[in-house]
Amino acid sequence: MFTSDSRSARIAQVCLSLFIGLAIWEIAGWQFNAAHMAPVFGSDVGVTRWIAELIAGGATLEEHPGTIPRLIDFAQEGDFFLALGQSLGLFCTGFGIAMLIGLPLGILMARLRLMRIGLESYILGLYATPMAALIPFILSIFGFQFWPKVIVVVLFSVFPILYNTLEGARSLKPEMIEVARAFRSSERRIWVDILIPYTLPFALTGIRQAIGRALVGMVAAEIFLNNTGLGGWLVDSSRSFDMAGVLGAIIVTTLIGVFLMGIVRRLEKRFAAWRGTAG
Amino acid sequence: MTAVAKPAGTDAARPSLWGRFAGSRFLVKLTFGILILGVWEIGVRNFAAPFVARPLRVAEVFPTVIADLAYWEATWSTLWAVIIGLAIAMVLGTLIGLLMGRVKIADRMLDFYVNGFYAMPMIAALPLLTVWFGYSEEARLATVVFAALFSVVINVSDGARSVPREHLEVAAAYRANRRSVWFDITLMSALPYLIAGVRLAAGRALVGAVLAEIFASIEGQGMYILANARGLQQNEAVVGVLMLAAFGLSFDALMNAVLRKWFPWYRRDEGRGK
Repeated sequence: MFTSDSRSARIAQVCLSLFIGLAIWEIAGWQFNAAHMAPVFGSDVGVTRWIAELIAGGATLEEHPGTIPRLIDFAQEGDFFLALGQSLGLFCTGFGIAMLIGLPLGILMARLRLMRIGLESYILGLYATPMAALIPFILSIFGFQFWPKVIVVVLFSVFPILYNTLEGARSLKPEMIEVARAFRSSERRIWVDILIPYTLPFALTGIRQAIGRALVGMVAAEIFLNNTGLGGWLVDSSRSFDMAGVLGAIIVTTLIGVFLMGIVRRLEKRFAAWRGTAG
Repeated sequence: MTAVAKPAGTDAARPSLWGRFAGSRFLVKLTFGILILGVWEIGVRNFAAPFVARPLRVAEVFPTVIADLAYWEATWSTLWAVIIGLAIAMVLGTLIGLLMGRVKIADRMLDFYVNGFYAMPMIAALPLLTVWFGYSEEARLATVVFAALFSVVINVSDGARSVPREHLEVAAAYRANRRSVWFDITLMSALPYLIAGVRLAAGRALVGAVLAEIFASIEGQGMYILANARGLQQNEAVVGVLMLAAFGLSFDALMNAVLRKWFPWYRRDEGRGK
């Protein structure tokens, strides 16, 4: 069963792996001080307390608030959706701007040789620069309101998009453009019919990489600028040693990342056939 | 790409001035560089507060900063954490990756978690790690390891999975012992993947180290930048950023050179990195 590839076996394997992971987390959560670690279900679910006390040799354990009950509480108070909305608003604005800059500029640079040669090295340099180091500058120049945070998200995510789009558009065979030229295609038609469809799968790879970075930028902005959204919830919880809150915030942020990357991965697969032999 | 475009007037014996300019990559890069710095300088001079960094002032303070011992101590502190963290992530990641690549149960049980932790924004773990390790250098090291580990695991397991079947069959036919199969064959074929993974991990590790320093006020280059930017000494802080960028770029170049020299056959889509 463990090595079978059938669909039902795979589902069973994932369930088993999830169960083992949750069990380890739950037990670990009960073993440590409540200010250091929180279990999944915690005191609100009687069975896990019983098991944990059995493991601890019958001792009565202190209250351990669980992560899932904490998340449910938070959602019922409505604060959760406020935080989620703030974070997603920040993420979408920043990421949208990064795409609006990165995608057209990437294709344009592949098209204009001088511009590409001139800017390529600098873009690669910025790509390799840890953007986290620029947060103090943004804080002292622009302050800590919504738009400075958007700048952080843009900075974190624009370079992977730009770089991948550029590299993708560059790998287009010049013959294609030449043929289009020979048939007197206008520059607009070249973009719409050749450049954009050809570059799309490469750009999607960049977008997927950028999602991970943008999420780091989002949380960083919410932690280091003013505390709002999921990042703010994370810091507030950790300051009050509410470990269930910390773990809850971590899980929600991770789920957002997994979800968004999953969507883009699907799109990538869908458009993978568009990659020419060069891809 | 060594192909240089033909100068504009190929028929003429001497190419035009414009043709010679456009034909030289170095000149074009230099011009764009000067243009960018010029726009930055003029823009900041006219439209920004006087404390905002601009290229001429950065150049001015550069020698002083370079001569400052605190700058080098901060740099060393950050780099050391990144190097040690990468080394730990490399060893740990190789072990887990090999296991996942060659043992099916391990893969099925761990895959979900490795991908989950890989997708998790590392900064989200920072508050938890500071609670566990205190506001200390250990917390920074833990952040670096956490940031780097999973790209190594994913790459090494891909590598171990792609060991050519023939190699394993030949090894079995000659009754190679387990140690040889694991280390001489599997690890060796996963090696270029490991290096590619470490290259990706290094960028994440550097970001992790800087974020940890800013978050927990740990001495290092991130803290140096924060302290200077706060004290309205942005030009000094920019020199710090330059050091981090130089480290990021040179590590990348080093790993690429290693791949090209010793593993010239290694080529694959680098879509997994972040």
